[in-house]
Amino acid sequence: MIGVYRELEGSMRLAAHVLRRFWVLKLPPVAEEFARQVYFTGASATASVVVRGALVGTLIIAYVIEVLNADAALAVRILVWVVLREIGPLIAAVLVIQRSGTAVATELALMKVSGEFSNLRHLRIDPQDYLAVPRVLGIALANAALTVYVQFIAVGGGMLLSALVIHVSLGEMAESFFQLASPLDVLYSVAKSLLFGAAIGVIACYHGLNPPGNSINAVPKAAISAVTQATLAVMLLNVVFAYLVYGSALFGLFTAAA
Amino acid sequence: MSAADLSGVALGYEPPVEQARREGRIWIEAGGSHVLRALGAGFKSALLAAVLDLRPRGDARVVILGAEMGALDARSREAVRAQVAFLPADGGLISNLNGWENIALPLGFHAPRQLRDAAPRVYALLEPFAPDVRALLARLPEEMTPYERVLTSYARMRLGRPRLVLAEDLPRGLGAAERQRAGGFAAAYLADCPEGTFVRLEDGAQGTDEAD
Repeated sequence: MIGVYRELEGSMRLAAHVLRRFWVLKLPPVAEEFARQVYFTGASATASVVVRGALVGTLIIAYVIEVLNADAALAVRILVWVVLREIGPLIAAVLVIQRSGTAVATELALMKVSGEFSNLRHLRIDPQDYLAVPRVLGIALANAALTVYVQFIAVGGGMLLSALVIHVSLGEMAESFFQLASPLDVLYSVAKSLLFGAAIGVIACYHGLNPPGNSINAVPKAAISAVTQATLAVMLLNVVFAYLVYGSALFGLFTAAA
Repeated sequence: MSAADLSGVALGYEPPVEQARREGRIWIEAGGSHVLRALGAGFKSALLAAVLDLRPRGDARVVILGAEMGALDARSREAVRAQVAFLPADGGLISNLNGWENIALPLGFHAPRQLRDAAPRVYALLEPFAPDVRALLARLPEEMTPYERVLTSYARMRLGRPRLVLAEDLPRGLGAAERQRAGGFAAAYLADCPEGTFVRLEDGAQGTDEAD
């Protein structure tokens, strides 16, 4: 219990440090780390998203039309609700945890056990400034961009594949989509994914900066802790976000007082 | 010793009495190249922590570049510390940065405006010591020889224009030619920075020598 409290406190402190010191991004080495992080988390993950995103969109449309025997308008309505608001940010977050969360925690923990943090301090460079600030902000930004990309692929690819596979009119679905989707949905999901990304970055950096020991065995332990806690944090944040914005969480299990 | 007397001191380290009786103390005059021999591992780490991390053990007295560190506020201590550089035996490089990025890292943090003019200076610094500077700058630390790591660290140190340099003993496994070349670091530094002080922390018979 004390350990959990310590990790929570440490993560909050790191988040506060990132907010307080975000201006270090203007320094060339930090800006370079930020650009690298955005590239590795965002740009290099796009290829792996295409198939998954399109399949999720197709599955939702096919399920609603074939199994629930609904029309294209309802299928698109569910697509908007599920993909734009919930699944899009979650798919992107899970992908980022799998790829960047493990990579960041492992990289930083390895640097710590090999004494590179001391090397940085001897150069009068705070490891949190140089390593954590660009990674947390980079992951947050890349996660938001990846979410928009996932939504685009899931909605566009889903409608396109559904038109080909289950012979639903693409024009009809597109018309319904533009009637139903609102910029607020995108704004909501972008805000949520920025928060998800920041949480993933903070947790991965915290475990990388504080591995459980100074031997090489501490490296995989740090990665495992980062992945499990980041996943948990994303789920919790999703529930809290849904509760705050829509007044309900866990599909209505918890409802805000009117 | 009065404050005025400290003006000619580059590095002074007096551990607490008991430890000083056992392991000695350090008092190095400003200017020139010096060798500190046979520092015990504990004493050396205490000295480095006191000078580089500004964390003196117990009530140790630390004088850096004429300033009594215990009498300074945090900001002034940082200002003095900024004039001290450290050359570790393994180079102290960051593993995911190539040679150039390692050299430019502290400059990018502490004096980003100077980065624009850094490349020709780095070439000028490295050319007397490395046959192929371009290749060295492109390599990651894991692809470098021990000599190349120390050389990269040396170039990084020189860009910062420190007034006091603490250099660990050269790493094992260096060839005779590399050892000779690396031995020229102090002379090259002092030729360019005559008011500087270069202190090598060596294993060997105990004592303090003037190297030049």
